[in-house]
Amino acid sequence: MSRLLDRVRLRIRSLVGGGAADASLRDEIELHLQEQIDENIAAGMTRSEARSSAVRAFGPVSLVEEQCRDTRRVAIVESVVQDLRYSFRSLTRQPLLLVAAVSSIAVAIAANTSVFTIVNELMWAPPAARSPERLVEMRMGGGSHVSYRQWWDLSESGALDGLAGYNFETSVNWRTADEVVSLMPMVVTPNFFDVIGPRFAMGRGFTADEARAESDPALVVLTHRFWRERLGADPQVLGRALTFNARPFTVIGVLSSDFRSVAGLALSPEVYLPLGPSLAPDLNTLDPAAHVQLVGRLHDGQTLADGRAAIAAAGQRAAPAYVFKNLETVGQFTFIGGMQQFGRQEVVAAFLVVLLVAVGSILAITCANVAGLLLSRLASRGREMALRVALGASKRRLAQQLLAEGFWLALLGAAGGLLLMKVTTGLLSSAPLPLPAPLDIHADLTDSRLISYAVMLVLVTTFLCAVAPVLQATRKSQMAALKRLPAGFGRRWNLRNLLVVGQVAVALVLLLTAFLFLRNLTLSRALDPGFDVSRTSVALVNFVEGRYTPASRLVWLEQAVERLRHLPGVEHASYGRGAPLTLRSGMTTGAKVPVEGTDRAFQAFYQNNFVGPGYFETMGIEILAGRGFRDDDRRGGPAVIVVNEEFVRRYFPGEDPLGVSIRLPGPTPSGYPAEIVGIARDGKYRTLAEEQQAGVYEAYSQRSNRDRMAHLFVRTADGVTIAPREIARVIGELDPSAAVDVQPMKSALAFAFLPSQLGAALLGTLGALGLLLAMVGLFAVVSYSVSRRVPEIGIRLALGATRGAVLRLVLRDAMTLAITGCIIGLVAAWFVTSPLSIFLVPGLGASDPASFVGTTILLLLVSAAAAWLPARRALAVDPVSSLRAE
Amino acid sequence: MSRPSDLIQGTLDLLILKTVALEPRHGWAIAKRIQQMSQDVLQITQGSLYPALHRLEQQGWLKAQAGVTDSGREAKFYALTAAGRKQLARELESWDRLSTAIGLVVREAE
Repeated sequence: MSRLLDRVRLRIRSLVGGGAADASLRDEIELHLQEQIDENIAAGMTRSEARSSAVRAFGPVSLVEEQCRDTRRVAIVESVVQDLRYSFRSLTRQPLLLVAAVSSIAVAIAANTSVFTIVNELMWAPPAARSPERLVEMRMGGGSHVSYRQWWDLSESGALDGLAGYNFETSVNWRTADEVVSLMPMVVTPNFFDVIGPRFAMGRGFTADEARAESDPALVVLTHRFWRERLGADPQVLGRALTFNARPFTVIGVLSSDFRSVAGLALSPEVYLPLGPSLAPDLNTLDPAAHVQLVGRLHDGQTLADGRAAIAAAGQRAAPAYVFKNLETVGQFTFIGGMQQFGRQEVVAAFLVVLLVAVGSILAITCANVAGLLLSRLASRGREMALRVALGASKRRLAQQLLAEGFWLALLGAAGGLLLMKVTTGLLSSAPLPLPAPLDIHADLTDSRLISYAVMLVLVTTFLCAVAPVLQATRKSQMAALKRLPAGFGRRWNLRNLLVVGQVAVALVLLLTAFLFLRNLTLSRALDPGFDVSRTSVALVNFVEGRYTPASRLVWLEQAVERLRHLPGVEHASYGRGAPLTLRSGMTTGAKVPVEGTDRAFQAFYQNNFVGPGYFETMGIEILAGRGFRDDDRRGGPAVIVVNEEFVRRYFPGEDPLGVSIRLPGPTPSGYPAEIVGIARDGKYRTLAEEQQAGVYEAYSQRSNRDRMAHLFVRTADGVTIAPREIARVIGELDPSAAVDVQPMKSALAFAFLPSQLGAALLGTLGALGLLLAMVGLFAVVSYSVSRRVPEIGIRLALGATRGAVLRLVLRDAMTLAITGCIIGLVAAWFVTSPLSIFLVPGLGASDPASFVGTTILLLLVSAAAAWLPARRALAVDPVSSLRAE
Repeated sequence: MSRPSDLIQGTLDLLILKTVALEPRHGWAIAKRIQQMSQDVLQITQGSLYPALHRLEQQGWLKAQAGVTDSGREAKFYALTAAGRKQLARELESWDRLSTAIGLVVREAE
């Protein structure tokens, strides 16, 4: 070992530190000449004669130096080049093997690089910006947003080189030739493009001067995708006017196609609009549309800590001007991009890690198959290997050659895999997902992180494919076998069998994970959301900004409900702010809630929504006590609320809360007192898998707000269906400028099912792939062992064994491998899958017995089938001819 | 760079390995020894020794160590490694076979 290290050191020195080696050679030659001169002088020559004679005897010094240098370099480079060339030629001589190995590696590497690209896009890559390493994101106080005024104060303080704000939680109505589409824009402060400095495919971004909110700018910058897909890549787009919220906005720029938004998570809002009165009518109040998240740029040379301190000081100075005390502290101040983004989205990050591990396992199983192929190839090349050993090839050289083969397969596989990855990520980018903004996955083959990852995959693949053949070829017994000893009745636990056991074990873990996610999907589908989804439809309505006052909007909603009620087949209709389990599900409130008339107050945490009269009837939510909302619960009248069972359970255990008044956070800073008039059945509010939440329904009329968004709900009679278009028409007649999106409740819940669906789809696919690959491995091993055991089987048959007995013999060996793999896999799965429980619905543990049992049975059945196919060939053995062949 | 034919190269390797088999020597001493032992029949160009030495060192058959020459100078000494000893045995064997074979052919031709 130390000899090997010595030589490695020597080679590295001669390649990188050629100078030192040259100097030592020169010393060596000088010494040689001195010795010769000494001898010549002793023989009686004069000093000058002695010298010239010594030099003559030595020959041309520079040539010798050159030759030595070549020897050093050539030895390493030449042998590697030779092996690469040789192994490539020898692989191309078996094109079938080459294609099978390369294509399976390509699929595995495509899976790995696709997941990596997604991880990179969602979690890692910095936004596309001028020197993104100076961009920071920050939160003031506990919240994620600050108001427009607060942004202005912080920005003007000069604490950072630049400070911009953005908001992608509102929507705008885009009126095209024949429809109104609701878009999720990126609403940004005027200096946004100055601070970020992205690249443009066309035109430019707006500058802070021209987009000042006070001048109500009507400019828009488009993403490349929006321009391509929605505007047909119109080359004349600059200067064209697009109508947002019934107002023309002039297109002044199109972002470059590799633009990555500061929102992260691959979300790419489609249009960039400057914040102004048309989007947020009153910039100086607490209008939620005028709130922005902050992204800043550090001064050149400013450290993160300096920047944080500067912003904290600016916040302290500005804080006294505001009622809401959020500027006094800096909640978060971090660089954008890199590892820290994982912290923000723990569940997403954890899921991506699961995916990375899963695709990594696929690669491992694939490599084991390729290693199996190479092993059987090695067996058939026994004589070639023997010859090479006899001719003086060292073990190391054999290993080097086998590694070269693995390297070729890995390299070609990676090339194919990266091309495939481009295709899959392209498909993913255009997949219609129920998300507010499209996902943009940039599969950039020049991305340094992707390249490093691909290089690592090639090295790992090379190693995994070659390690078993190397072990096999350099084993002593192999050397003996090479001397043409008859192929023995192989040991049961040879390398190939071990590989298959490993494959089955890994496949079991993958399959179990898939099983868990599939069970999760079916269980979450069966979860009771707490309201009726079969007969209800929901319409999301986005109004144009400023068209209604809170009062006139309420009138409008009541008119809409009245018209919907008169549609044939409609039983009930109502309205509300949010719709449960959709993207806009309502609010989450945490507050200290005092009970009126007592000194009692409790810390409450609940989901709340503002709903109209008839909401509970329309949604099919049972009122267990008291009443729902009535038409006479109006503004100015006594405020009323309905709470759910969980709310009572948590905050009024053992009491009757009906008639009790509590003070809830509300329209005024001190909140408003509201009487509990009803108790509604529990339901799900934000996600299907959530723990039961406390819920409060407030009367829409008493809590109406500045939102431009509302939902209308329609319940049809049993057996009647109403086309969504019909509902949209009725609503559209009332206000053609509103964007209306009608869906049956079932499909509106797509968002709620998305995580479990994606999980089941992705891991289900990977589990199936893993199973298939492991079975290919088992199939190959059984058919190889049958072909090697033909003489043995012939003897057994000749001695009177029945064919059934022979079949059992072969199957028994195969199932021993499968069962061993399963046992190892089960033990491993017990430990590996426990972190998965965070993704699963309550009640489904990661150690779900049904999944463990089901997976094992499935794997063993498939194994038996995979073994049975080649095992049948054992039955076809003709004892006479097989014995004769022997 | 011209490369000696395999026969010559192999022979020179054999001579070098044999020469350092007894004790580690430095380059000049190896050349001197080969000359002496062959009673001055084998006159190698002394310089051509060094590429061969370096190649044998790369292959792991020789290893270099520091030493002091008879004249008191510090020099790089070459010693035979275990792998080199095996290689020497192999080369001696094949040399024997070759010379026997050539001897047979030559004598038969007489």
